[in-house]
Amino acid sequence: MADKKVLGLSKDSWIYTFLGLGFVLTTLDFLMAFLVSPLVLGAKVSGVRVIGGAIVQNQLLFSQKIFYFHVPVALGSFLVFFFTAFYGVRFLMTKDKIYDTKAKIATEVTLLFVVLTLITGDLWTRFEWGQWWVWEPRLTTYFIMTLLVIAYFVLRNSIEDEERRATYASVFGIVAFLDAPISFAITRMIPSSVHPVVLRSGGGLLPTQLIPFLLGLFGMLMIAWVIYQVRLKEEMLRERVEAVKAALEDDSPTDAPTFTSFAKPETPGQS
Amino acid sequence: MRQFKAILRKDIVMELRTKEMVTSMGIYAMLTLVIYQVALSQSGAAFDPRRIAAGLLWLAFVFTSMLGLNRSFVHEKDQGCLEALLLSPVDRPVIFLAKAIGNLLFLVIVEIIMIPFFSFLFLQQGSYQGEFWMIPLSLLGGSIGIAGVGTMLATMSVNTKGKDFVLAVLFIPLMYPLLLACVSATTAGVLGGDGHIQQFWTGMAAIGAYDAIMIAAAWALYEFILGA
Repeated sequence: MADKKVLGLSKDSWIYTFLGLGFVLTTLDFLMAFLVSPLVLGAKVSGVRVIGGAIVQNQLLFSQKIFYFHVPVALGSFLVFFFTAFYGVRFLMTKDKIYDTKAKIATEVTLLFVVLTLITGDLWTRFEWGQWWVWEPRLTTYFIMTLLVIAYFVLRNSIEDEERRATYASVFGIVAFLDAPISFAITRMIPSSVHPVVLRSGGGLLPTQLIPFLLGLFGMLMIAWVIYQVRLKEEMLRERVEAVKAALEDDSPTDAPTFTSFAKPETPGQS
Repeated sequence: MRQFKAILRKDIVMELRTKEMVTSMGIYAMLTLVIYQVALSQSGAAFDPRRIAAGLLWLAFVFTSMLGLNRSFVHEKDQGCLEALLLSPVDRPVIFLAKAIGNLLFLVIVEIIMIPFFSFLFLQQGSYQGEFWMIPLSLLGGSIGIAGVGTMLATMSVNTKGKDFVLAVLFIPLMYPLLLACVSATTAGVLGGDGHIQQFWTGMAAIGAYDAIMIAAAWALYEFILGA
């Protein structure tokens, strides 16, 4: 039990609680999206057609269901990416290695969310626009953000020195996060020939649409937090093993400050 | 100010003696133009290169500037100049500003050489309809951003294992919004036509915003990069 305090991690029980809760909420989002939420009116059908036993002039978009997964994941990716920059600032302020590890793991979670966003978004793109990829402003800027997240890891992997790697990664994380809103805003300022509307529901969302969306958002954020905590735990244990290894290889263990700082408090009988 | 002048003078004197940066960047840019000819060779007579001229120009500048940025810091590192600079009592932001202005200067020189060549090689047919003053203004705005952000990234990438590769991976996605705005503003200057004044100024506003935000960030963070 004392180990957890040394590692500065939250208790396991919280991780399990949030994992369970996140799983339940995301599943509820999934079920509600298909069972409760009404279909959304989409593009006009040419002429009048019979769809599902009713005469309609507007096609009801079943593909709009992706909204309940795609948008929470996308929002989540921005939120988690913020922590890369946040821990980057914290690292530069304190030079404490733990913040660099946290920033790295936050970026890993961002990468996962970004890839999920691209996949779910692409399903919609293919179905609604008929093409796998369109150089539409929002797609383009999001793709750029993906490249920035990947570049973050390229930068990390190409530096040997630990402190330098941490500093450069923090700086790049901050600048990359600054770039994300810029590239988001800039495409609205530049006139573009192709500019389809992504979200078709014009006014506010109905409660039956809003509730599953929020459930999905919170569920996915909880899962993100769980992944983050588990990875952080793993990373810190790994660092501790490295420190122990280094101390064991050393002839005089007292010279290894990394080892003693992580070790359990000594009992008075030993010296 | 004296420190700033001294560092800038050092870069200029070194360049005047070796003439390495401008020559290598210039030749590289020329080679890019030759490759453009290959790329456009099958486009046919009806194709108007002016429509993509701004994009082509900026493409050449981006790759050329990456070459130059990398070189400007490889020198500093190989000959231990950066360490000497850090030992001397110079403010870190001054180093950033001097290096960035030096890089901007060389980039602008290459651009001045390249633009006449470019128009000579690709923009012969058709009369010029745009407004000329827009082109240098948008080029300068974009070059400031490239030099500012590029100086910061090159200082990082020169200390990594894959120098030029890492610079490209960091530089291009970070530059993307700037390039988009630059191409839009320069195209307005090249093509003219309906609403080109408005297109130009929205582009310039975006360039200005990008330059201000990113250079402020680079300025503030440069100290940490040099310290590591």
